Amino acid sequence: MFRLQGSKVLAVDMTGDAVKAKNGSMVAYDGQMAFKKMSGGGEGIRGMVTRRLTGEQMTVMEVKGHGTCWFADRASEINLVSLQGDKLYVESSNLLATDAALRTGTSFTGLRGASQGNGLFTTTVEGHGQAAIMSDGAAVVLRVSPQYPLTVDPGAYVAHQGNLRQSLQSGVTFRTLMGEGGGEAFQIRFEGDGLVYVQPSERNTIAGDV
Amino acid sequence: MSHHPGAGPTVYDPMTLPSDDNVDSYTFCVELKGNQWFLQKGKMIAYYGSMEFNGIGHGRLDRLVRTSFHSPLHASDWVVAEGSGKMLLADRAFDVNSYDLDDGNLTIRSGNLLAFQPSLALKQSIVPGFLTLIGTGKFVAASNGPVVFMEPPIRVDPQALVGWADCPSPCHHYDHGYMTGVMGGLRALTGLGGASGEEHQFEFVGAGTVLLQSSETLMAEQATGVLPPDAGVPGSGGAHTGPSQAGGTPRLPGQLGDLQRRFGL
Amino acid sequence: MAFREINSKMIEASVVPGQRLFSQRGAMLAYKGDVSFTPNMTGGQGGVMSMIGRRVANEDTPLMTVEGSGTVLFGHGGHHIQVINLAGDTLYVEADRLLAFEGTLQQGTMFLGSQGGVMGMVRGQISGQGLFTTTLKGHGSVAVMAHGGVFEVPITPQRPVHVDPQAYVAHHGDVRNKLSTALGWRDMVGRGSGEAFQLELSGSGAVYVQASEEKL
Repeated sequence: MFRLQGSKVLAVDMTGDAVKAKNGSMVAYDGQMAFKKMSGGGEGIRGMVTRRLTGEQMTVMEVKGHGTCWFADRASEINLVSLQGDKLYVESSNLLATDAALRTGTSFTGLRGASQGNGLFTTTVEGHGQAAIMSDGAAVVLRVSPQYPLTVDPGAYVAHQGNLRQSLQSGVTFRTLMGEGGGEAFQIRFEGDGLVYVQPSERNTIAGDV
Repeated sequence: MSHHPGAGPTVYDPMTLPSDDNVDSYTFCVELKGNQWFLQKGKMIAYYGSMEFNGIGHGRLDRLVRTSFHSPLHASDWVVAEGSGKMLLADRAFDVNSYDLDDGNLTIRSGNLLAFQPSLALKQSIVPGFLTLIGTGKFVAASNGPVVFMEPPIRVDPQALVGWADCPSPCHHYDHGYMTGVMGGLRALTGLGGASGEEHQFEFVGAGTVLLQSSETLMAEQATGVLPPDAGVPGSGGAHTGPSQAGGTPRLPGQLGDLQRRFGL
Repeated sequence: MAFREINSKMIEASVVPGQRLFSQRGAMLAYKGDVSFTPNMTGGQGGVMSMIGRRVANEDTPLMTVEGSGTVLFGHGGHHIQVINLAGDTLYVEADRLLAFEGTLQQGTMFLGSQGGVMGMVRGQISGQGLFTTTLKGHGSVAVMAHGGVFEVPITPQRPVHVDPQAYVAHHGDVRNKLSTALGWRDMVGRGSGEAFQLELSGSGAVYVQASEEKL
């Protein structure tokens, strides 16, 4: 049902079923389609708080109909992820579309460099179905295993799945001639067993959105 | 590249990541085995293993600076990476590529240079905003779209220029058609229409290679700073020659400023 | 004298005496040989209409006449370029997405939607001040820019296509266009104006859509 047309456009062929997609990401469609705005961020109290904090940025729409619908977002590269009952964690602004059958929720991570305000909100996707995630430039998928932990620059983090523990690391020392330098002061360290998606760019997430 | 449902992209781990080579067009992987690489700050996106990133000119790295890094103005933008493992470099989803210099020289816009091996010496070019690499070794450069190589003689829009190798530094070329006539005068007076590559280009002659990219907007440029006042050195502050420019429209890259007056418009 | 794609963001054109090209100002990246670039403030094909409105600076940019003998590399801001070869039919292009085209094509203008072109409508510039759509007809090559590249969606009589106006780049064929507000779209307000409209194309032909809803 989800297919890529080139690397920056997601085509979804629908026969009466539905997909949830990032608001504003529809670029074209044929046939008959209906669009419904949904509230993002999840259910209940937590959902309400999330929506308050993130404003419009996390609005999701539901698209239902017969025909083909094309989605794209700022020419970002798209990666398809197939979930078979497992859980995917994605930077909220990097999630383009999900099969309506998948359950989405939010988790507050607050880990990644709160000073820059990025990485506060992660969307969780679980169940059986396909999800389309976006990245600024083609994503590179890196495997983490017990003997090979991985350190990632927060601005480059896109998503991860599997059994992974995250911790903040400040491993960058910028003692220069001029004193404490700029640049990323934190890095995220992943340990355990799973996959991490990184993008070849420092494009920030929600709060520091380009 | 289209995927069919179910099939995922390649999953990499420390064994399958290439050493000192492209992972894809936008990401480059450097392997460190106790050696060092100079990196631009903020361009490392992930790494396996244990690595240390230290600012230039700090303590025990002094010797390195003396042999490889000769640009005090850029020191704050660079770090030295050392350790062991594999490190991924990338820059704003621009195309990255590595180049090998073999007892050669290449001058590149400072914003386009991502990383280089210490066996190369980095110096500041006479042309403001550019750095020259000399010697033998590998370096990694980023560009907006793949780099296109052309040979002189050629005229290049300044904003499309990434760098050049072997041939002499370029000179300025101004299109007379633009500077004369009613429209030329109007443009000078009102600043209407700004300036673009059609009026002013860098002209290359000689034997060598010119590197171009499809960009009319400069990538965030590394501040080259102002050189200390020094008589005879182009671009140095203080020793300011020529009339000061009339206020009004800000000077756009390539705009002629004083030269417009000199050509009698 | 077609355009040769060097990579997705750069094209090369051979300029031969007697044959002209037109390009958007600032589109020339480099050239070899003896080539001149002359802006058409008035004149050019279609008089004043030869201005290509530049959305970003809100500045009318003149078309450049490119002639002489040599080779020119065209590109702009690192945007993706699509070369479309016309064999007698007409291409309708958002004015500022036009990078360059061969002089053998006849250029004109047309208003899409009610007034002021697609983007004019979208930005609420109904006064007619907004950008207009350029038409190119005949035999020749056209180079079109888009953010992230374009993909082509065929339009058939049984399947009209709806396009987000901000993602619309160009279309060709025997196509009727209608700017409409579809039910349900009014709920989508949130990312600025323009979200409530969609461009409906019906008939037979094809529309080029860009992989982004962003302006250039």
